[in-house]
Amino acid sequence: MKHVRLLTLTEALPQASLALAETESFHPDDRPPTEAQLSALPGHVYRERYSQAHSRLDKITRLIPIAPATGIGQIRVVGIEELGALDDWLGKLWEEASGYEEDLHRLDDEDRLVREQQAALQNFAHLNIDLGMLRSKTRFLDIYVGMVPRENLRQLEGAVGLAGYLLHVYMQLDDSTHVVILGPTGAQESKLGPVLSAAGFQSLPIPEELDREPAELQRNLDAKRRSIAEQRQSLQQSLTAWAAPHTDRLIEARHTLMLAEPLVALDPSLRSAGHLAHLAGWVPARAVNALRQRLSDSLNGAFELSVRDPLPEERLLVPTVPVKSRLLAPFAMLVNQYGIPAYGEVDPTPLFALTFLLMFGSMFGDVGQGAVIAGAAWWLRGKLGRFWPFGLMAGLSSIGFGFLYGSIFGYEHVLPALWMSPLSDPLLMLSIALVWGVVFLTVACLLAIYNRLAVRNWPDAVFGHHGVVNLIFYLSLIAGSLQLGRGQGFGTLPAVLIVLSLSALAVHSWRHLEAPVGEKILVVFIETLETIIGYVSNTLSFLRVAAFSLNHVALSIAVFTLAGMMGTFGHVLTVILGNVFVLVLEGGIVMIQVMRLQYYEGFSRYFSGDGHAFAPIRFRRGLS
Amino acid sequence: MTQVADQAYLSTLVSAMSTRLFGAALMSGLSQRSLQSLSDTFGLGPILDEQPSTTAKSRAIEQSFIHMLLTELRVLIRPMNANERGLVLGWGRKYGLYNLKTLIRGKLYELDPKEIRANLFELPSDIHLSDQDLLRAENVLELLRQLEAGPHRQIARQAREVYEQQRDPFALEAAVDQRYYIGLARRIMAFSNDHLASLRRLLGAELDRVALLWLLRFRFCYQLSPSETYYWLVPSMRLLTRERLLQLANLETFDQVLKALPSPLDAVVAESKTIAEVQQRIGRYTSDETRWVLARSQSGVARALAYLMLRETDLMLLFAAVQGQLLQFPEKTVQVALELIEPSCAWSAHQAA
Repeated sequence: MKHVRLLTLTEALPQASLALAETESFHPDDRPPTEAQLSALPGHVYRERYSQAHSRLDKITRLIPIAPATGIGQIRVVGIEELGALDDWLGKLWEEASGYEEDLHRLDDEDRLVREQQAALQNFAHLNIDLGMLRSKTRFLDIYVGMVPRENLRQLEGAVGLAGYLLHVYMQLDDSTHVVILGPTGAQESKLGPVLSAAGFQSLPIPEELDREPAELQRNLDAKRRSIAEQRQSLQQSLTAWAAPHTDRLIEARHTLMLAEPLVALDPSLRSAGHLAHLAGWVPARAVNALRQRLSDSLNGAFELSVRDPLPEERLLVPTVPVKSRLLAPFAMLVNQYGIPAYGEVDPTPLFALTFLLMFGSMFGDVGQGAVIAGAAWWLRGKLGRFWPFGLMAGLSSIGFGFLYGSIFGYEHVLPALWMSPLSDPLLMLSIALVWGVVFLTVACLLAIYNRLAVRNWPDAVFGHHGVVNLIFYLSLIAGSLQLGRGQGFGTLPAVLIVLSLSALAVHSWRHLEAPVGEKILVVFIETLETIIGYVSNTLSFLRVAAFSLNHVALSIAVFTLAGMMGTFGHVLTVILGNVFVLVLEGGIVMIQVMRLQYYEGFSRYFSGDGHAFAPIRFRRGLS
Repeated sequence: MTQVADQAYLSTLVSAMSTRLFGAALMSGLSQRSLQSLSDTFGLGPILDEQPSTTAKSRAIEQSFIHMLLTELRVLIRPMNANERGLVLGWGRKYGLYNLKTLIRGKLYELDPKEIRANLFELPSDIHLSDQDLLRAENVLELLRQLEAGPHRQIARQAREVYEQQRDPFALEAAVDQRYYIGLARRIMAFSNDHLASLRRLLGAELDRVALLWLLRFRFCYQLSPSETYYWLVPSMRLLTRERLLQLANLETFDQVLKALPSPLDAVVAESKTIAEVQQRIGRYTSDETRWVLARSQSGVARALAYLMLRETDLMLLFAAVQGQLLQFPEKTVQVALELIEPSCAWSAHQAA
């Protein structure tokens, strides 16, 4: 990755932004330049107009959908004047369109009111009083029938009480409470108006025919709703007719905004002084020449591009280019859950993918169940998006190990094993798992050492956690243990190396501690003990790889034992349900265990994950 | 595990942070200090130097104080459970509602979006209200329609209906304030007895203060009817309960209301002649209650909230002093402003003078 600094004319910024977006290789650097004179923000007004126009276009296209964008189309410069004119036009258009939107909202409100009326009338139908009396105020009584939001009810009840009115609740419907408020006609009436208004009271007019035929009333209300639906349809037609002459220009407006977007994306990193504009960013080393050529073509040479390597103190600012392989993409997603590789750090994705598949397959080796996983991933590839190859490869790995173990849907004697069934020699399986653990941890330590050397962090590469000295200790411990296992004693060389490496770690730790002597002794002792216990327990942790392969066979045996106790139908059903159980439960557990081994035993050793992804400016396919 | 042990970390954190609260001597001397002295003592130099105009300086200082307060709020909520966190964040959301009111006023008076934006506070994500989207609304109705699609649905819908009928910002803002305090009162009731007494004392005192001041203003300044006044009030769970407010809202004169207040509020505001005087006295009473909760309560969340309320008052006080100096107000005017925020600070200095 290279750091580039572009100096060009302020007026040429829109042109430069298009060239940068076309190359898709420029990740902006938001740090202000060191020159104090370059303090103006030339893209600020542009961004403001863009944001306003974008928001207006979004609102309009929610009301008048336009065909989705298929590509960026012809590329041209969008100046601030054009953007301003577009924003103004969109503003005027939205002013007209919002009238339609408000009418649609009004129809929604009317429809809701009629529905509430229908509900209220159904409720009134059960009352044995002359409801015609509720229609209008009488000589002595003032009556309001309507609804209020439920949460305002209690406060309203007290308030109408103070005005000398009574409030009666006759129905609760969703968030609304239907009430009748009545009190003496007179001066208090005018005081009640503002209270009802404040409480969001909505009057429900009582129809003239209330005391006659309920069925006819319902028919009338149904007719009202139909009328509202027709009005809505008519309004939609008017809206469509109104929108028709504008559709092409709206599509063009979207295209203009897509072309303006790169400059908006650059705004935080743009600085200028008069006619001189400054822009900095990160570009992959292989793309620098292409970028220079594209800028040269676009700006006719009116620019200066300086290129340099990242400085050591900039390491955490340098973006990391993500993995582009389609097969590795789902694994990269899982790696990114932990963190993004920092610049200079080894990207663990390929190693993660390989070890993940090996461990998953060996712990869940079954031709039939693996085929189900792979088949399900293939079948659901539309829904799983970029993640589906992960399921497919996990399934294929399971199939591969299934052939080695000779296992298909838990049947251990149908398929001849290319190697052996795990349960036929559990001790061998456990030994292989231990060897695998040693290899895994050794590779993790080597990567940790490499990552530190890459950033010239020599002290940590040698004495840090999982550095050279740690690795010497670990390998000596393994060598000694192996000899001990063979009955040859621990051996002098491993013992000497262990003592020397632990002593070196203790001295290093002692020298870096700033504490009283007693505390230093305690800390160094505990750290040394932790190193020994940590490596032993981490290696033993890999026994789970063998344990789960044994567990898989054992679970299958349990299923078949149960199935053997049933009749033919019961047998088939138990085998099917047992396989589903094993697939879902054990498959899930194995997945979690493998992830745990990767994150805890692997990543925590060599992967800092404190980088950030390379996100170059580019044209979008469509506005969000 | 006992409540004390359960809340040990939070309580220790609050105790440690409480040392930041202004002492009486510092508060009483604020109105007499020069801008340079305030800037040196509170490290305001970089903020004041960066801004070109008095308005921008004042705005930047206010923004930095709010940022400081909300940063401390976020530190305090870390060890809290969901209920406690909800209450403290709910209290802090008033700043989101200030922004909402600014947006409503700005749209109502058709101000330039730049001007509206300049008056919005920058808030953390768990407190702000998608201000950028709301800012792009072209008028009040559109703004309220947008709000209706979010968590403020009820406020927005009611506010829209009120606005469509009355076109009155008072009703809109009163509805927003009312919902805020009702929300806080509701949250308290979800707490167990271990916290409830302290929270009732703390927020009950605050709700009593708000209810009394609103009652006096709505009834005797805005001349609203008893029923409308009552409707806008938020009953407290302590002294000014629903029944008490019904009775008070129906009284005809300022003196009658003060005399009818329950003990000890009647003694606190006795003989007050103006609402400003009532505000000073009840403010002092509320502040004493808040300090009591901070010093004596066993509830970590109540102490944390008490700390934040006192810290907010301190920062408002400091802001008023800085603003007074920026605008070159006479010392007496600054003293009056400080007295309205924290009635016990400038008061003693004034008395001494």
